[in-house]
Amino acid sequence: MTLPSDPIGLAGLQYFGRTTASVSHELKNALAIIKENAGLLNDYLLLAEKGTTIDPARYKTVAVRIEDQTRRADQLIRNMNRFAHSVDSPVQSVVLDDLVALLAALSLREAAMRQVALTVRPTQSTITVTTAPFALLTLLGNCITFALAATQPGQTITLGIAPEGHDVQILFDSLTGLADMPGEAFPKESDKALLTALNARFKADGPAGRMVITLSGR
Amino acid sequence: MAEKVLLVDDEKDFLSVMSERMAARGMDVTAADSAEEALAQVESGGFDAIVLDLMMPGMDGIETLKAIKQRNPTLQVILLTGHATLEKGIEAMKLGAMDFVEKPADLDQLTQKIKQAQAKKMVLVEKRMEEKLKSIITSKGW
Repeated sequence: MTLPSDPIGLAGLQYFGRTTASVSHELKNALAIIKENAGLLNDYLLLAEKGTTIDPARYKTVAVRIEDQTRRADQLIRNMNRFAHSVDSPVQSVVLDDLVALLAALSLREAAMRQVALTVRPTQSTITVTTAPFALLTLLGNCITFALAATQPGQTITLGIAPEGHDVQILFDSLTGLADMPGEAFPKESDKALLTALNARFKADGPAGRMVITLSGR
Repeated sequence: MAEKVLLVDDEKDFLSVMSERMAARGMDVTAADSAEEALAQVESGGFDAIVLDLMMPGMDGIETLKAIKQRNPTLQVILLTGHATLEKGIEAMKLGAMDFVEKPADLDQLTQKIKQAQAKKMVLVEKRMEEKLKSIITSKGW
């Protein structure tokens, strides 16, 4: 079977699939905790029916856990919903700070699996760009995957945004193993196609542990 | 006899609530929130069953399963996962996992599997002891 060659479409689908799988896994974890706490409440009720006195603090612990996990699941669904809406219009005006924050939130689990933390450096003022948000998220998501491979466990990757004349830069800092990564590892063919489509450039500085995506003419 | 269970998951809230519920069902539960901690617990030994999360930071469930089986092939491992795929399930069974349970798990079903694991382990340990005894008797030539 031969599939039509569309590197951008395929990369987008792969990123969408990867992200959906990761979010659904997280949701299952939250649901599993909620279910077990409901089960624990049932255990307490059975004990109480048999005349055992249950310390009210134990009920409170269960209630707090259910509340925490419900909040966690709600946040996951909100992020997934925002991500799903990134394909609403192929090109639109987006607040880059929000998009990078969403990227970080969607990538938290992938980073945690590699025992790496992600932080976003706050910007002085909001930066808005006209771009293809889903294509940009796909490119940045692939950057994150590569950045995680280029960072030792226990480290923290810092994401940042900086205006550069008429352009804007998205920075990935503290990539402690970037200098040791093979040059051909990133960008791959599909990333190069995304860079061209987004009118963007990629630059890696191994010794500085920094990767930069520059979006032209905001 | 209380089943001695090692429960391994990086979700601390999950560990806490599951440990409490399993203990209430008469099991002797030890909790570990990482593969490294689980392997250290395995060294101290004596578990009838290990309930192991497949997706964990650092060393994942499959790698941990391999390391556990290398240390003690009689240990019975039940893998627990948020998203079971057929491929992962087959891989785990090939590596010697006793069973594969998808989250959210049914505790009665899991308890049943733990009891099966304990029985299976006892048979394996007895068989091993028998073989050891046989080898001592033959080597001495009595």
